[in-house]
Amino acid sequence: MNNRSEQLVPHFDRLPDPEQIGQMATWLAQAGLESLELTNEAAGLKLRIRVEQAAAAITAPLTGVASQPNDGAGRVAVKTPYFGHLCLVHPLRDTPFAPVGTKVTQGETVALLTLDSLQVPVPAPVSGTVVDVTGQPGALVGYGAAIMQIQPD
Amino acid sequence: MSEIPHFSRVLIANRGEIALRIQRACRQLGLETVAVYSEADADSRHVHEADIALCIGPAAAARSYLDPDGLLLAARLTGAQAVHPGYGFLSENADFADAAEAAGLTFIGPTGASIRMMGDKITAKRAMRDAGVPCVPGSDGPLPADMDAVRAIAVQVGFPVIVKASGGGGGRGMRVVEREADLAQAVTLTAKEAQQAFGNPTLYLERFMQKPRHIEIQVLCDTHGTALWLGARDCSLQRRHQKVLEEASAPGIAPETIAEIGERCAEACRRIGYRGAGTFEFLYEDGVFAFIEMNTRVQVEHPITEETTGIDIVAQQLRIAQGEPLGIAQADIPLRGHAIECRLNAEDPFTFMPSPGTITRWDLPGGPGIRVDTHVVAGYTVQPYYDSLIGKIISYGATRAEAIARMRVALAEMKVEGVSTNIALHRDLLADPAFQRGGVDIHYLERWLAQRTAP
Repeated sequence: MNNRSEQLVPHFDRLPDPEQIGQMATWLAQAGLESLELTNEAAGLKLRIRVEQAAAAITAPLTGVASQPNDGAGRVAVKTPYFGHLCLVHPLRDTPFAPVGTKVTQGETVALLTLDSLQVPVPAPVSGTVVDVTGQPGALVGYGAAIMQIQPD
Repeated sequence: MSEIPHFSRVLIANRGEIALRIQRACRQLGLETVAVYSEADADSRHVHEADIALCIGPAAAARSYLDPDGLLLAARLTGAQAVHPGYGFLSENADFADAAEAAGLTFIGPTGASIRMMGDKITAKRAMRDAGVPCVPGSDGPLPADMDAVRAIAVQVGFPVIVKASGGGGGRGMRVVEREADLAQAVTLTAKEAQQAFGNPTLYLERFMQKPRHIEIQVLCDTHGTALWLGARDCSLQRRHQKVLEEASAPGIAPETIAEIGERCAEACRRIGYRGAGTFEFLYEDGVFAFIEMNTRVQVEHPITEETTGIDIVAQQLRIAQGEPLGIAQADIPLRGHAIECRLNAEDPFTFMPSPGTITRWDLPGGPGIRVDTHVVAGYTVQPYYDSLIGKIISYGATRAEAIARMRVALAEMKVEGVSTNIALHRDLLADPAFQRGGVDIHYLERWLAQRTAP
């Protein structure tokens, strides 16, 4: 567990250079998050990155997303790319990512999986309209679980 | 139990029959189980029976049963306090054992340091030699770079020799050299292969025993200094280094001989501070035992030892991990009767190619002295992604003849349809005169198969 967080969060013993900050901002945007804060009290360092979440989300092609079976009525299931606690509401905005009726574009983050401090975005497999949300907020869901249905455009 | 138990919920980091076996032991001890599974195993029996079941990835083992980060995250999310690795997958991965303990989990097995020591064939052999466990004559360490020095070692050990990769195992990274003239080329090739396959070109060399048997000693060690040996198993019937049929005890080897070697294994465990279940594997030829390797986990064939000793090895693994002392003394371990295990594989009986598919008929044998360990039920689909083991039939008898007779009936009763199995192979083997006499060597089965398929 410790190893994992070390891999994900670099040592914060000096301020990252502008390219690195730019990269982190891109990752934030792709994850559907607004801000990130890193603090190193011993070194007196604090870095806060804020990004505007555009209405048209940035397409984040996520490798290894489960298949997108068509249920016959033309709907496509949104399947979780990992396991974790399901978060349907944006943690910093108090508004659901994609309630029923939302127009989404392929790759847009429609939910998050939280694993301790880790957050894994769940991308929309196709562009279309969310017609059903079956995942229970806060539930521990497994890999490949269907949490929403999208009617493609 | 005098101490507070370390855990009450166990994550089973495995699949198939061993996952169910571990789950049974947990439930008997009042422990909750977490089944983590790949998408391909969603319909497995132990997944349905688990207190908590979590799909952790796709069928590919690298992203499910072999993903250490995923398994540890799953343990955290499900509140598991211990992890049982079973056999195969991450069971002998020292880094995983260390990472589990660093994450605050109890690893149900030895320490990472013990696994690491035994995973390296050279350090393992050195440790065994120091503890008085007999080893095959060999280089006693890595081969030197200088080919003349290698040649001198080989001549002293005596041809034929076998050149092995220090990081190898399971029959890979080894080469037999019959004559001195072939030595240099064999060493160069094996080193190159070892570098590619294991990332470690270190080699060692041993006398090649020509017709040995595979004899192994089961041990159990607690964390209070007690180390026990639970008798011997004969696993000589192998095909491509995969065991097919095992028996306990080893036919034709005197109990006093086994006791002497068993006590040396137990002493080696005490010296290295080994914890949990383990197996010392030996080659045995002309009365000489030669240590090959130690398996630092529960083995597929553990049930035959359970039958001949009455000790539940998996339950003992859990108790040891809870910090309990073994409540058994060596003198109290009976080695009684005889047990045989036939591994049932979903495979073609002639080509041995895996035979995945849906099992439409699954009639199990029964009666006195018959035990079946399997995760399969009628309607179960054998997946192509994992090994083809679908179950194990274990027979027990007061004598070897009785165990064979019971197994013969059991194999006749066992009916499987929908996939091909090796049941017929087991029937033929049991009827083979050399098997019935007992004590065949590790090459016997391959010779027997070659003759069977010859026109």
